[in-house]
Amino acid sequence: MDMEDTKAGKVCIIVLNGRLDAYSSNKLEEKVNSLIDNSCLEMVINFDGVDYISSSGLRVILSAVKQLRKNQGDVKLACLKPYVMEVFDISGFTQLFEIYPTEEEAVNSF
Amino acid sequence: MVSITIELLMDLLEKICVILVIAYLITRTRFFHDILDKKFTRRNMILFILSFGFLSIFGSYSGIVVDGAMGNVRDLGPMIAGLVGGPLAGIAVGLIGGLYRYFFIGGITTLPCSLATVFAGLFAGIIYLLNKGKFIGIWRAVIFAVAIESFHMILVLLIAQPYSAALIITEEVYMPMIISNAIGVLIFSIFINNLNKERETARERDKFYDELERKKYELEIAHEIQESFLPHEMPHLEGYDLFAINIPAKEVGGDFYDFIPLSEGKLGITIADVSGKSVPAALFMAVSRTILRAKATGNSNPAQVIKEANELIASDSKKGMFVTLFYAILDLKNKTMNYVNAGHNPPVMFVRKMGDLECLKTKGIALGALDTMEPEEKIIKLETGDVIVFYTDGVTEAVNDKDELFGEKRLYRLVKVNSGLSSKEIVNRIKDEVIGYSKGLSQFDDITLMVLKVDDRKSK
Repeated sequence: MDMEDTKAGKVCIIVLNGRLDAYSSNKLEEKVNSLIDNSCLEMVINFDGVDYISSSGLRVILSAVKQLRKNQGDVKLACLKPYVMEVFDISGFTQLFEIYPTEEEAVNSF
Repeated sequence: MVSITIELLMDLLEKICVILVIAYLITRTRFFHDILDKKFTRRNMILFILSFGFLSIFGSYSGIVVDGAMGNVRDLGPMIAGLVGGPLAGIAVGLIGGLYRYFFIGGITTLPCSLATVFAGLFAGIIYLLNKGKFIGIWRAVIFAVAIESFHMILVLLIAQPYSAALIITEEVYMPMIISNAIGVLIFSIFINNLNKERETARERDKFYDELERKKYELEIAHEIQESFLPHEMPHLEGYDLFAINIPAKEVGGDFYDFIPLSEGKLGITIADVSGKSVPAALFMAVSRTILRAKATGNSNPAQVIKEANELIASDSKKGMFVTLFYAILDLKNKTMNYVNAGHNPPVMFVRKMGDLECLKTKGIALGALDTMEPEEKIIKLETGDVIVFYTDGVTEAVNDKDELFGEKRLYRLVKVNSGLSSKEIVNRIKDEVIGYSKGLSQFDDITLMVLKVDDRKSK
């Protein structure tokens, strides 16, 4: 799993590439936590290159949104592939997140 | 004169070879390793000092006598002992070599040569202290050896009488002695360097194995926790056929199912999957299952049960842990099932009358994701021959060697085709298909399957 983080104004963007399984979720968790520790409040996660997400991946994203919303921040998601969308849909997580078709729209929604 | 110098050099190098073979053997001993680990016990120190003292005496002799003095590599022993074992070892070995030189080998250079050997050990020990007990490294050790032998020669020139004889001796022996001692220290330093690398590798290997062992132990604990919280037998239900299995992955995923006896004629049925893996997942599974049981007992309203269970689970959920869970209350007599789906893979029902499948979805979200929720509840009527297959994502997300998912379609087809079989047979049929599908690959996630069938046979 590759992950890159960039910034657009105050918004931190994490672009994911590969399988978000139990192993790579730990890496994502470290990345997310280090961004939050560096006082990032507005986060966009771009799922364009992700074709699999496990429950461990969902857990990391849920943990991020819980932490950020506590401080009036948020996580928004972009570019979910159909399978990943289905996982979000079944677990009910689509009700929890704002999901956008493109990264740009997600960034501009803040 | 030149020929004597070369002859002496060759002779000393031969000597060095023998000394290094012995020194190599010493580096393989327990006490030498202990000294490197700074375990300066009396036994270790005595063995260490005697070994290098012996090498110092052995290095005093060479076949070439120059005007009553012998070229030698006696200083090698105290230099190494001091650089590796500190000042005490260096001085002790220097004294052994120096006293031997003083009493057993004569000649005009007796005093300066004896002193030089003691000083070699002392200076090596001081360098050991200055470098905070670490070996100084190959090239610095070689420079040190050159310096010590030069010092040795200066002592001879200053002390030995008559000066003219001392000068002749020094002129002939200084090159061979500096070169051979430097080569000796060089090769011994390489031994030490390799030994340190070897020990470092061994330490890393041991750490890795410890880690592996701990991980294995952790996996076992997670298995045991999960296993102990699963029902150990199927409830016997008049007019129904119920069967379930759980095949945990090597790293358990926290799947569970449960049957909760409610009031007369009602049974709570649940299947669930906890986020994450291993011990955290197993513990969260145990907590969730216990909370659900406590909330379900005496409450025949599934939406209420899930709402209350969620509040407790959410307050316990750290690091974004959540559980997808399907909970249903089966009314055995009226053949109805009220259910709530909290973000779990929708169970699939074969409705015999229609000959078709229906998915048991409701609007819901995994428990622990939100602090409060208002779950939607639905009810279905069950008829003879209807089959409901409950499962976790370990079934539909099993992959084959082309990295393709097993998927819902394959599962649905299996349910349809095998709906005439008993619950146990349906479970086994699906299990065999899933395991066959990812044959040869390791199972990534727990596989949990439960089948409820409204009996089409007369109850026995």
